Amino acid sequence: MTDTATPDFATLSPSRGQKFRQRVLPLIALALILALVPALSPSRTVYSLLNAVGINIVFALSYNMLLGRGGLLSFGHAVYFGLGGYAAMHAMRAIEAGDGLWSGFPVFGLPVVGFAAGALAGAVIGWPSCRRAGTAFAMISLGVAELIAAAGFMFASIFGGEEGVTGDRMNGPELFGLSLGPVSEVYLFIAFWTVVGTAMIFAFTRTPLGKLSEATRDNPERVQFIGFDPVRIRYMVFIAAGAFAGLSGGMAAVNYEIFTPESLSLHPSGFVLLMAYIGGIRYFSGPILGAVVLTVMQSMLSDFTEAWLLYLGVLFIAIIMFAPGGLAGIFHGVAGTVRRDGAGRAARSLGLKAAGVSLLLVGLIVLIEVVIRWSNGYGEVFEPFGLMLETGSVLTWVLVAGPILGGAALVRFVAKTDEGGA
Amino acid sequence: MNLFTKAALAALVGVAPLSVHAEETLKIAFIDPLSGPFGPSGDAALRHWQYAADEVNKGDGINGQKVEIVAYDNKINPKESLVQLQKALDQGIRYIAQGNGSSVASALIDAIEKHNKRNPGEEVLFLNYAAVDPAFTNERCSFWHFRFDSDADMKMNAVTDWLVGQPDIKKVYIIGQDYSFGKAVAHAATTMIAAKRPDIEIVGNELHPLGKVKDFTPYVQKMISAEADAVITGNWGADMVLLVKAATSSGHKVPYLTYYAGSLGAATIMGEGAVGQVKQISEMNTNLETPDEQDMLIDGFETKNSDISYYYHRIFTAMGMFDAAATAAGSVEPIKVAMALEGMEYDTAYGPVTMRADNHQILQPLYMSTFSADVKRDVEDLGLGWASGDGDRIEADKTSMPTSCEMKRP
Repeated sequence: MTDTATPDFATLSPSRGQKFRQRVLPLIALALILALVPALSPSRTVYSLLNAVGINIVFALSYNMLLGRGGLLSFGHAVYFGLGGYAAMHAMRAIEAGDGLWSGFPVFGLPVVGFAAGALAGAVIGWPSCRRAGTAFAMISLGVAELIAAAGFMFASIFGGEEGVTGDRMNGPELFGLSLGPVSEVYLFIAFWTVVGTAMIFAFTRTPLGKLSEATRDNPERVQFIGFDPVRIRYMVFIAAGAFAGLSGGMAAVNYEIFTPESLSLHPSGFVLLMAYIGGIRYFSGPILGAVVLTVMQSMLSDFTEAWLLYLGVLFIAIIMFAPGGLAGIFHGVAGTVRRDGAGRAARSLGLKAAGVSLLLVGLIVLIEVVIRWSNGYGEVFEPFGLMLETGSVLTWVLVAGPILGGAALVRFVAKTDEGGA
Repeated sequence: MNLFTKAALAALVGVAPLSVHAEETLKIAFIDPLSGPFGPSGDAALRHWQYAADEVNKGDGINGQKVEIVAYDNKINPKESLVQLQKALDQGIRYIAQGNGSSVASALIDAIEKHNKRNPGEEVLFLNYAAVDPAFTNERCSFWHFRFDSDADMKMNAVTDWLVGQPDIKKVYIIGQDYSFGKAVAHAATTMIAAKRPDIEIVGNELHPLGKVKDFTPYVQKMISAEADAVITGNWGADMVLLVKAATSSGHKVPYLTYYAGSLGAATIMGEGAVGQVKQISEMNTNLETPDEQDMLIDGFETKNSDISYYYHRIFTAMGMFDAAATAAGSVEPIKVAMALEGMEYDTAYGPVTMRADNHQILQPLYMSTFSADVKRDVEDLGLGWASGDGDRIEADKTSMPTSCEMKRP
């Protein structure tokens, strides 16, 4: 806002082309990518992984409506995911039993039930908790999460006790000719609702309420000055976020056909915070990226290393310390550098940076893998690419110290030259 | 959301399909926690399975095929377990082993039942070695599920059978965790005591929050003022060891009848104060009289896995019965193995066991063991271990319970 010569809003507003490129095109691209996946005929593992990713994308986006857009740090978002999921689960059982009106309800539409239940839960729980923002809000959300999670284990008639509530999705009328039996058909269901959820959450950010929620995050007093009540804005955003969390819960109910009380607990609430933060809470695409990366990490990385939780922690710390914009922030930064410096110069500096970070990563991985085997004490040896990296061998420690020192030096060098060049 | 991030997303989504391995070994997927707070207990069970597989492979394997245990980390989360199950299915694995957590077992039973219904010819069999919710062999029973552990009600049946031989115990206090399992244990205890020892007075029946209590002293003080002669608890994990610790530090010297005092790491935390006081109901302890082969098996296991003790005997029973069933069926096709397992009788080092045909629940002798300082074989290098005397054995057929299972066979 330094350029005082800027004439008026009409020239500042984006052109039609820009609007299309920035707002509609990415959603079409998302839908196209999701629609093209079955053409690659993926295995069951990839399908079930993609289903988990889709559920987590909507869940993380709904969480970011609070954290990124509304500035409300919640430690209990899984409550709405879980309550929405349980509602959908009970509806699925009603469809199976053919109870009254439910017998004509398609399983495909169950996320709508989750949506309504999530909104209702948000309306009830949000009423007291949205009176305060900041730390007080975070603490209340933590308390509510503990309360609901404890209740989940105690009230077995609603939550099914430890073994949870199960249902069968292959009942009721079929929509679009999908029986929803095989995982490939469930994928189409998940893809549909992922696109719908993403589009609706994106649309929400464009509404006056969405804009006001960002304004309330930045400066609630000014919002009051222009005649809006921040408490009411927070409350309405909270209801919407709960509703979309419930939607993803409904997707999960159909995908897994089981809901257990730990889906209400602090653990998934913490995981959605990680997804949003690692992806980047300042960008709409951030939680999507975070959901993809963390879901894949959770399910696949544990096949390769038992220290996968440690890598998750390292990633989280690294993001907070060095890339507060998250993964989306890194991509935007790269794109920005390319635009500013031109492809040639950008490639050099980014290439060096990437090489430095990769070197650091190699050293770190060798260190962690060697140490964890040593601490287990079964006498296992870390053997990447046929190398025998024993605790006592010199090669091991060269491979630890060399890349870490080299990588750190390279990253520092790039930072220095960038400063000098700027 | 710009195009660049979209492109990256696309790259990530297009994860290369996982290769399907050629079917050379007979693979059993072990789906249990291998990281996080429950990682150590999952890991201990995994090493029992691997040792049991090694033992079978010393011969000609199962039906001529070598056995391989493939471990999948489910983070003790039911939904994550279903993703790991799909991974196992993609590898062509037809046998699943799991035990930690009835919530996970519930999800797996349900998913496997549906998978088998929707994919005929690709059936999968579930070998449950530790999830003890009675529902799995009653109203939720499944043809594809076999349980090699005695369920919670059978164990309580054994505990109350043991109480019949203890005329000194007149007042019993029941304490448990406030969720479905703790409630089920309390319910079983009150009804069975009322039936078998109507003279026993239940002086307390209490539920405490699951995993939240750090100091059980107030609970123990209530037991002391209620003058309880014995305490019954289904507590596991930290709730179990902290309860015992509070009892020993408050000087509450009465028997604590537990399900899980023998689990990994508990003995170290309970320490010498618990000697003679803490009892557990289980299928064996390592100080029972056994044939030499069993001693050699335990020695071999503890030599190879020096940091843990031989605990899951039922895993060896499961492997042995699987082997026998595959031999009897002449095939490793799950449906044939399942048919052969039904009603199978099998001899273990601790007596004969039977797999019930009507609900797929094993009947095995149970022992009431006492934490003792005078043992041949200790646990966790403490010089302390588990021992039992006369009258501590409950015969297999006496553990049998009526079932509400209506088995649907393919």
